[in-house]
Amino acid sequence: MSPLEYLRIALEALASNKIRSFLTMLGVIIGVASVIMLVSIGEGAKTYIRSELMGIGSNLLIITPGKTETSGMGHPPSGGVHKLTIEDMRALEKRAPALAGLTPMVVAGAPVKFGNRSRDVLIIGTDEQFEDIRNLHVEIGSFLGKGDIEAHRKVAVIGRTVKKELFQETSPLGHTVKIGETTFRIIGIMEKKGTTLGVDIDDLVFIPADTAQDIFDQDGLTQILAQVVNENEIERAKDQIRQVLMRRHAGEEDFTMITQQAMLSTAQSILSTFTYVLGGIASISLLVGGIGIMNIMLVSVRERTREIGLRKAIGAAQRDILIQFVIEATTLSMIGGIVGILLGAGIAYSAKVAFPVVPVDITGWSIATAFTFAVLVGVFFGIYPATKAARLNPIDALRYE
Amino acid sequence: MAAAPLIQIQDVSKIYVTGQVRYEVLKQVSIEIGSAEYVAITGASGSGKSTLLHIIGCLDTPTSGSYRLQGEEVSRKDDVELARIRNRTFGFVFQSFNLLGRYTITENVALPMVYRGVARRARTEKAKALLTRVGLNSFFSHRPSELSGGMQQRVAIARALANDPAILFADEPTGNLDTKTGLDIIRLFGELNVEGTTVLVVSHDLRVAQHAGRVITLEDGRIIDDRRNAAAEPAKARTP
Repeated sequence: MSPLEYLRIALEALASNKIRSFLTMLGVIIGVASVIMLVSIGEGAKTYIRSELMGIGSNLLIITPGKTETSGMGHPPSGGVHKLTIEDMRALEKRAPALAGLTPMVVAGAPVKFGNRSRDVLIIGTDEQFEDIRNLHVEIGSFLGKGDIEAHRKVAVIGRTVKKELFQETSPLGHTVKIGETTFRIIGIMEKKGTTLGVDIDDLVFIPADTAQDIFDQDGLTQILAQVVNENEIERAKDQIRQVLMRRHAGEEDFTMITQQAMLSTAQSILSTFTYVLGGIASISLLVGGIGIMNIMLVSVRERTREIGLRKAIGAAQRDILIQFVIEATTLSMIGGIVGILLGAGIAYSAKVAFPVVPVDITGWSIATAFTFAVLVGVFFGIYPATKAARLNPIDALRYE
Repeated sequence: MAAAPLIQIQDVSKIYVTGQVRYEVLKQVSIEIGSAEYVAITGASGSGKSTLLHIIGCLDTPTSGSYRLQGEEVSRKDDVELARIRNRTFGFVFQSFNLLGRYTITENVALPMVYRGVARRARTEKAKALLTRVGLNSFFSHRPSELSGGMQQRVAIARALANDPAILFADEPTGNLDTKTGLDIIRLFGELNVEGTTVLVVSHDLRVAQHAGRVITLEDGRIIDDRRNAAAEPAKARTP
């Protein structure tokens, strides 16, 4: 018998009981659709984080004071270590040729006042290189200049949100604001950027690094942001930084370097786990769908006992009956799988269109995996009922009422 | 050396064991049936006549004894070989027709040819020819439920003939039919026998016995009578 004949018999049997076939498939449809939807969300989150992390600049290396043994997001400095200073940074500029640029960061929260309006924002003390390294640009006016830094000028560049909250419609350029008790002149407004990695970039104020150290009474830097010349030089850059800083820090490695790649791979591995967990949970519903198929196939074998007996009497071998029922179960799961893919991908796609903020990424591998799994579920859960059918004694089967 | 008989049954017993009860349905039965015979197996209900038919039809296996079909021992054959025999050498007609309701009668008749691997077009043609042969040429695309009992039994006979079997088995073929329809079916068997098919009918319908060339009577699992029915021979002549 050709495979096509088996398929025809299976389709005829399924078509003769359309509602039941559909309801049985529904289990698989929902299973496959949920696998695809949930994996799409997980994958979307990965893509989102990747673009966020890549958006902060390229080939970045963050140096923070204090040593943490684990790679990843880093920790605040513990006591008893050397602080990172502007002088450290200057030394790196001179003696770490693998670095294309360096910029200091002093981060503190403070109220910013204009007239009778006040807003608590994050103040970033930095220098003129920040704009390029961190890939954030000024829209109106200018960013902190080399001259502003050297002359210890009290100038500030503000984010969009800060501008809107404090100045509303007036142009802030040339006006002064009070950060803490110190007066700063506004020289620029940053372009709108939104939130990156949980920080509202538009709600920041940038001032020269040493001014920030003065007004916040800090003699160290929160971190140094370094840009490596290209991605192949990252390891060499780390070696150079280690050498330079250890010599300056009495031979101790009391600082931590985090590369953008390390942050990315940490985030990606967390999100991959998240995706697998989501996919795994959804797979359970696919498994339940498979049990539904087995259940219906068992009922079907029982109902069609006489048919099985007859088929055997007119020349069907056990093998023929087995194949017929396995194909029937597999057809259910396969059609269910295809409909599930269309449904899952359709919902994921509509979600993407309707809510662009929801990160959704429909991947080929999730579709292929869900479909393969669905078909395997059909074969697996079809075999037991099919074996039962194949082993029926023709005489008992023909007499079955 | 003479050719082996078509069917050779030697000391065949069939024993069912249900719990503590051991039930011997056939007790050391031996018969030989030759080619183109028309044999009726009769006996009271429970005499073992259906079981005998099922064993000869390879639908059931004997507990002990030997069954040679065309000279070959059947017990040595595996499932695939037995399925092949049932498909190509045998044709079955049952008391309750056993037609598949979701198929048209043409598809029902074509079913044995599906398992023989006949192409769709060829088997539809053959099925229609067979249906015409049994007088159902205007019902090709009807479903079994749309036909009378007699018509359904004729569909079942057409199906049994699909692969030109050497032996036609019928288990109480007239049991669910009225007198006249039953007689039509019996005549049909007679015609087929005249054309060369060995016919084996289990029935307690006396008319079946009257038409058969040989009547085997079972009682309590043993053959108590096996006689040639000379009077039945003119059946050939009676057929128009």
